[in-house]
Amino acid sequence: MAKQRVAKLLSTATGLILTIAISFAIVILLILVLSDEPGRAIYFFFIGPFTKAYYLGNMLNQSIGLMFTGLGIAVAFKSSTFNLGGEGQAYSGALVATVILLALPNMPGIVGGPAALIGAVVIGAFVAGLSGFFKMRWGTDQLISSFLVSSAVILIVNYFVTGPLDDPTNSMLTTARIAEQYQLLLIFKPSKLDISIFFAVATAIGTYFFMQRSHWGYEMRMCGINREFSKYAGINVGKYLLVPMAISGGFHGLAGGITVMGTHYRCLKGVTAGLGWNGIAVALIAKNNPLAVIPAALFFAYLDAGAKAAMLHADVTFELAKIAQGVIFFLVTAQALYGLFDSKKKRKKVAR
Amino acid sequence: MSNSSFPVPMLHSTIRIMAPFLLAALGGLFTELAGMLNIALEGLMLIGAFFSVVFAAATGSLFLGIVLGIAASVAAAYVFGFISLNLRANVFITGLATNLFAEGITVVLAFQIFGNKGVIRFENLARLPVLSIPSLQRIPVLGDILVGHNVLVYVSWIMVVVAAIIIYKTPFGLRIRGTGSNPGAVEAIGLSPKRYRMYAILISGFTCGLAGAILSLQMGAFVPGITAGRGWIALVAIYLGNKTPLGIFIACMVFGFAESFSNYAQGAIDVPADFILSFPYIITVIAMIGFSIVQHYRLKGSDT
Repeated sequence: MAKQRVAKLLSTATGLILTIAISFAIVILLILVLSDEPGRAIYFFFIGPFTKAYYLGNMLNQSIGLMFTGLGIAVAFKSSTFNLGGEGQAYSGALVATVILLALPNMPGIVGGPAALIGAVVIGAFVAGLSGFFKMRWGTDQLISSFLVSSAVILIVNYFVTGPLDDPTNSMLTTARIAEQYQLLLIFKPSKLDISIFFAVATAIGTYFFMQRSHWGYEMRMCGINREFSKYAGINVGKYLLVPMAISGGFHGLAGGITVMGTHYRCLKGVTAGLGWNGIAVALIAKNNPLAVIPAALFFAYLDAGAKAAMLHADVTFELAKIAQGVIFFLVTAQALYGLFDSKKKRKKVAR
Repeated sequence: MSNSSFPVPMLHSTIRIMAPFLLAALGGLFTELAGMLNIALEGLMLIGAFFSVVFAAATGSLFLGIVLGIAASVAAAYVFGFISLNLRANVFITGLATNLFAEGITVVLAFQIFGNKGVIRFENLARLPVLSIPSLQRIPVLGDILVGHNVLVYVSWIMVVVAAIIIYKTPFGLRIRGTGSNPGAVEAIGLSPKRYRMYAILISGFTCGLAGAILSLQMGAFVPGITAGRGWIALVAIYLGNKTPLGIFIACMVFGFAESFSNYAQGAIDVPADFILSFPYIITVIAMIGFSIVQHYRLKGSDT
């Protein structure tokens, strides 16, 4: 048993290393082709995030939101429900948290802050839960409905941010600033890293135990493995079309709320853009394991930080990160890469 | 085009707007019939849109631009297919990857070539030729609505017929359908389902490339994210069209109308633009739910 687990782990590791190596190779190739100072661009892409405390702190800060959205996707995928609406769910969470905090300018932080985060979780869970409900009730395809609902939600949030809630004293497209007592404590100045990183790590550990040790977690995982079997085992499978979606949406909403309270202190237009899509990649790299979401999120944040550093110090653009992330997305589920290690071993056995 | 009454220009632009949806959905129909959910339509369109307008500007020929734009989109489709089929990756994830990759590569290339990450205008680019048949245009209402579009709009109509013939009347179409419904049978007669899946993906690359070319060439510009969710709506059109070319044609007309209506409503009624832009998504979701409700009760009815 233990031997099998080690073999599986090794095969996963080789697959991931290959995936990441190929994506790095493509980024290097692109830089060589596109940049006039490729050495400098490559140096800052890979080493840049570690050259200044400021970059490092911002990289860690970036990983916080990704941990929450990654966890949201991991829970959904582990239960075989599909949430493609993370972008809209996170954005709506950011808006609702901001609205609650702006409505309570004089509350103590310990009261208003949690209220805002609860609001963010509820709206995220509601937006995602809609698709879960449609699926449960009428069998509507979750994948597409969650994407479409989220696309509509993004536009509606845009309306509020740029319309009725727009801060007229500020030339940016943004709401007003939240009161000081709600701004999370910065722990690594001058970077934007705030205290919520501990909360994110604790949430990942908590989610791991929830999935592995709780009754709901068990039933959700069973539905994920085989819904038909679970039905005959007496599990209410309909419920688990809705519950994992709502939990997933809740995590996304939380990511949005934390982004506002910890980093931007206001809901800018598109403040959470990218968190939803990258959360999917984070969950896939983590193989839907909540604990592995922590390093996976750090890695994705590293790619972003590298591209930012390369943009500041050399002549390439930030979107290089998107290409690296796209390549990882392409290959992360490619079984052929993961099989390499196994098949060689099997072949050796046969040869003997 | 006469501006005789409000609905006529709105219907005229419905016809123009539906063409990219229609092309993308027809390509997606092939992959759908071959048994794959192809969410890469959006990214393939984006690649077609970028490369067709860039090449058209570089070569000074619209035709060459379209051909090379399609070639780029087919190449991207090949990568998508190779990783999904040969490296056995999850097709839904590789589809997402195609979309993200397309978003990244178009902006990176635009920045490196034009030094600009925003709207890139090509001022001296020729316009897409417009089909005008004065005798037909004289037919009241219908003439105003159906005539006077760019030629690619009519190409998209021809493609509906071509797709229907390929799917229902040729051995190739039969094999594509077989690959989706019964891959074992396709294998049993000595053919490779994998190969037919790849053909279907390449076809979707072709039609999406053309769909993207319409988007950028009719503007004479490239805008990052110019496809704006059209690939996704095309995907829904395949389902709502009950996976038939004619059904898709009708579904795309509905979505074209939704978008056209949004455009006209922006000027006419006092509703914020962002709300109106969200209409096509909301209408699509409602249509999807309606469709699944009908299916749900039909299945229930046949059970008893």
